[in-house]
Amino acid sequence: MPQFDFATFVPQLAWLTAFFAILYFGIVRFTLPKLGRVMTAREDQVTGDIATAERAKAEADNIQAAYDEGIAEARERARATLADSKAQVGRSVEARLAAAGEEVDARLKTAEAALEQARAKAMTSIESIAAEASADIVERFTGKRPTPSVAAKAAKAAVAAH
Amino acid sequence: MANPMEQFEIRTLHPLDAMGYDVSFTNSSLWMLVAMVSIAAFLFIGTARPQLVPSRWQAAVEYMYEFVQKMLDENVGADGRRFVPLVFSIFVFVLACNLLGLLPWIGAFTPTSHVAVTLGLAAIVFAVVCIVGFARHGLHFFSLFWPKDANILLGAFVFLIEFISFLSRPFTLAIRLFANMTAGHVLLKVFGTFVVALGSFQALPYVFGVLPLAVNVALTALELLIAVVQAYVFALLTSIYLNDAVNLH
Repeated sequence: MPQFDFATFVPQLAWLTAFFAILYFGIVRFTLPKLGRVMTAREDQVTGDIATAERAKAEADNIQAAYDEGIAEARERARATLADSKAQVGRSVEARLAAAGEEVDARLKTAEAALEQARAKAMTSIESIAAEASADIVERFTGKRPTPSVAAKAAKAAVAAH
Repeated sequence: MANPMEQFEIRTLHPLDAMGYDVSFTNSSLWMLVAMVSIAAFLFIGTARPQLVPSRWQAAVEYMYEFVQKMLDENVGADGRRFVPLVFSIFVFVLACNLLGLLPWIGAFTPTSHVAVTLGLAAIVFAVVCIVGFARHGLHFFSLFWPKDANILLGAFVFLIEFISFLSRPFTLAIRLFANMTAGHVLLKVFGTFVVALGSFQALPYVFGVLPLAVNVALTALELLIAVVQAYVFALLTSIYLNDAVNLH
């Protein structure tokens, strides 16, 4: 087996040492740190981006909450205003109804008074007509006309008794 | 039949000598160089202009980087981040050597199929584990081998076993990788020779070569899987050993 030809060990080890030293110190130690820095920067950027996104999301949530609160408040206010104006309208209608009712009452009273007056007037004219008529009847039967005062008295009494 | 071990032959491409030691540039050196250059191209293109939104190349490098980082996070914890470059280097180097060696080309060579290379990598891991362990915990590092709540006799016995197992770690690490790579390539070569031997049957040419060829195609897929899995296992065991050094259990 050529692998156990110990005469070839020294040159192989010598070149291995040389090449591995160049590889380690000249190539890998020279290039990998550059890559490591970029990878760290990338990681930082990604975590930074995630943090920014989280902040933006929290902000959006706050805005949403404020919006919801505002909407609820406005709704509450609108409801209160509506109830208020409803009550106001109700009150004014009642007031106007009351005023109209009073007016009607007043007019009813004057009408009643006028009616009473007219009735009284009619009563007195009925009495005089009755006195006149009864005086005429008495004159026909007896040929003698009673005095107007007696006729009036009798007519009044008759009307009152009726 | 060609010797299936021939593919592992180390051939000198350019003889070199340093202070009396033979450090010739061989085919193994060449393919380690190819692996290193491939990794360099991958990493330099991927990190040329790093951007927050990665390009395809950058995404590919990042994927491997995160893979290693996650492995260390899971096995070592927060302190494991310091070892990401080391484990990453080991992982991509082993992976590149394993995969490049699978190129279906006569010149392809797998440096990780040699125990010298895998032992060298395992030695790096072992050395780092020892240095980190003693630097962080001093002589308390030896308590890694001592069982909790054991009497002195049993404790000493377990300590001995644990210590030997600790010392054998670089060898098991090295042999696991080398054996997997060697076995896979031997298998591919054996079936490759079957293709030639059965395909050159005179009365019915090519027909019988199809079966071992199909097996070889399937084996290549399996070897690709093994190449990735063994690189992963090597890196995973490295991080588990580093965990011992960093956290002492």
